[in-house]
Formats: sequence, C-alpha cells, structure tokens
Amino acid sequence: MTGTGYLIPVSESRSVRNTVRYAVEQATDRAAETGESVTLRFVYPLSKRLSFDEGTGEAEHARSLLDRVEAWADEDLGADTESAVEVYTSLVGTREYLFSPSDYADVLAEYARTHGIDVVVFDPDFDPLGTTALLPPIENELRRGDFEVEKAAVARARRGTLLVRRGTVAQFLGLATISTLFYLLLAGSLAPFELATGTISGLVVATALWGISLTTPIQPAQMAGRVGRLLLYIPYLVWEVVVANLKIAYVVLHPDLPIDPEVVEFDAAVWSALPVTTLANSITLTPGTVTVDVTRRHFTVHALTKDSKAGLLGGSLERAVRFVFYGRSAARIPSPIERRDTETQSDGETEETEEAVDR
Amino acid sequence: MTPREIAILVMTLGGVFFAVVAVVGLIRLPDLYTRAHSTSKSETLGALLALGAVALAFDGTMTTVKTVLLLLFMFITNPTAAHAIVRAAAEQGIEPWTTDEEGDEA
Repeated sequence: MTGTGYLIPVSESRSVRNTVRYAVEQATDRAAETGESVTLRFVYPLSKRLSFDEGTGEAEHARSLLDRVEAWADEDLGADTESAVEVYTSLVGTREYLFSPSDYADVLAEYARTHGIDVVVFDPDFDPLGTTALLPPIENELRRGDFEVEKAAVARARRGTLLVRRGTVAQFLGLATISTLFYLLLAGSLAPFELATGTISGLVVATALWGISLTTPIQPAQMAGRVGRLLLYIPYLVWEVVVANLKIAYVVLHPDLPIDPEVVEFDAAVWSALPVTTLANSITLTPGTVTVDVTRRHFTVHALTKDSKAGLLGGSLERAVRFVFYGRSAARIPSPIERRDTETQSDGETEETEEAVDR
Repeated sequence: MTPREIAILVMTLGGVFFAVVAVVGLIRLPDLYTRAHSTSKSETLGALLALGAVALAFDGTMTTVKTVLLLLFMFITNPTAAHAIVRAAAEQGIEPWTTDEEGDEA
C-alpha cells in the first residue's frame, strides 16, 4: 500500500464525532499536499475475546459505533472530493482480553504495522474501559514503538464532570457498602454505635479508594458466576496444595535431598490482571513452583523438582483459573505443552524443551 | 474425646509437622530460590492448619470468623511475599542453583 495511513482508535466518547472530523481534515490536507492517497483506519479495540463473549453486547455496540464513524467520515469527506482519502473501519483485539495499557498498545501497534501505518491519532477522550485513564500510558507505549502519536485538536469536555460520571456513583456506593459490611462483620454486632461508625468508615474508605478499587463496572451476573466458580476452585486448590506439600515434605526430609531445580518460562493463556494474579499466586502456593516474574502473560517460574515442573506445564491450574474467570468454554484451551509455549532455562543459557525442538 | 477435639488435635499436629518441614527445608536446601519454596509453602500450610485448629477450638464464636479471615489473608499474602522475595533476587541477577554444578556447592 502506498501513501500515508492514519490509525484512529475510537471508543464511545463525547469528542468522537469531532475526532472523526479532525482526522478527515488532516487526511484531506495531506492528500492535497502530497498528491498521494491517504487511508484512514478507524479501529475499536474490543476488551474481550470475541468467541467467549456470550452476550456480544460490547461487539454489537462497537460495530454500531464503527458504522456511525464511517457515516460521519463520508459526510465530512463530502461528495465532491473524488476520493484520495479512503476510510476503513475494523474491530481489533478480538482474539484476546485487553486489560492494561500495554495490551491496547500492542494490539494497536500490530494492526498499524500490518497496514503500514505510522501515524496514530487519538481522540483526547479515548477511554476504552470507561473508568480509568488509559490514554497517556497507551500513547507512551506507542511512541516507544516508533509511531507518531498526535491528539485530535477538538474541544474537550469539561474535566470537572468526571467525578459524577454515570456508573461511578454506583461503584462508590458499592465500595462503601462492602466496606461497611466488612466493618460490621469484624465488629460482630449491629448496635447503633457500630452501625454509625461502620457507615462513616465505609464512606471514608470509599472516598479514598474510589478511583482505585472496583474500577470496572460491576456486572452482577458475571460476578455471581465468578464467585460461584471460585467456591469450586478453592477446595480444588487446597487439595492440590496439601498433596503437593506432602511431596515436598518427602523431598525435604529424604536423606539424599532429591531436588532438581529449574527455571521454566511459559506464556499462560489468561489475559487480564486479576486472573493472572490468581494464577501466579496459585502457582506459588502449589509446592514445588514459585512464580519468579510475570510480564503480562509471560510467566517465569522456578520449579523445585521434575514432577512439579511437569505438573505446571500440564496446565491444570491454568485451566482451573480460566474456568473461574471465563467459564467452562475457556477451560478447554490446550495446556502450555500442547501449545508449545514453553522454554526451560538451565545453567543460564536457554535451551528449548524437547517438545519445542521437534518443530 | 469428641470428634471435634480429635480434629483439633490432628490439625495442630499437621501444622507442627509442616512448620518443622519448612524449617528443615530452610536449612537443608541449597539456595535462595529453593529455600523460598520451603518457607512459603510448607509454612503456609502449617499456619493454615494451626489457624484452622484455632477456629475449630473457638467453636462458632466471633473469634472463629476472625480466625477464618486471618487464614484467608495468610493464604493470599504468603505466596505474594515469597514471590516478591524471589523476584527481587532474580532482578539482582542471582543465578539459581542447579544439579549440574553439584561439585562446587557445599
């Protein structure tokens, strides 16, 4: 593809309409200047993996937004400009869960590279999750990846309205309620004094942690499902911990100390922060394996014995964590060994496991 | 002895056993990483069993609830602490001990 390309990530925001107008103006100017064709690619980063999204609410919403964007862009281009400017729209990030700014940046950068784009134009109110400010870190990541990043020059919505945004009040109340209930649980009584102090403490906690805790909107049905499956997961985890602890006790008390420590690295098929944390903690709890480092989904794990390493790469824990957070369909993703996502480090130099060598 | 007392006794003994395993591991294992295994896990299970025995001993009072909460927090924070230590070591560039260099190790 020749000419210049602009990548414009969009999400539902007040300034999205003006961002489209700005991008179209830029593109038209550029086309007039250089005489080359210019492509505008509007993308919507989906936060959820498409195939698991049972409701597809987000995807439908995204498609309708992209349709509107396309219509707006056509409107701005006008009939007379016999198109040096081409407009495309697309959903990105449909194959994984996006959570952190770097997840978004990766997806956008990959898309931009495939389509030979080097300029990314951001809507200043681009806010894919709806509650946290992801934009500055995404911009930084993209700049580091050698992309030219600009902000659309549009009139911005007043910042002051941020605190009373839709949904956030519910989160505040939710946080206050949870804190108060926990306070009452610890107090162990419902005396008026405890109720009063509990409510005050709950409000204080909610005020202080408003922007940090419960940042994604609460979806009661999803929450209930997760908590229910978590209750199934905990006994399983405790059982694993006990069995593995007995094995470790055997190893430690054995006169010959039959250990074979090794550092294993693998990419886990879990996506957002909470599942990754749960998996990392579960790995650490299961004796024989300690999570050394996690960079997004890349796990570095220290395994004490051959057995524990095999158990880890067998992926049963990983599968269980996916079951808790994403439901039964996600549990069927193959284990790290089957995916061939692993490598073993020994003696400081990296050598691939036998499975990987067969490739 | 009632079944409850037996349960308390068994859990306490289990707790002591795993705590001892943790200490033995701490002394016998060769390096920081392997020691982290023994201190984080055997230790967690030992503490969990001991706290579980405490919860049973208080028999359904508020103290039981609080002990269970304590147990839950240990379950979450212990592995996190172990992970923090191990990661700090990895970032300092400490090489993990492997069976290949047995000769050099004491």
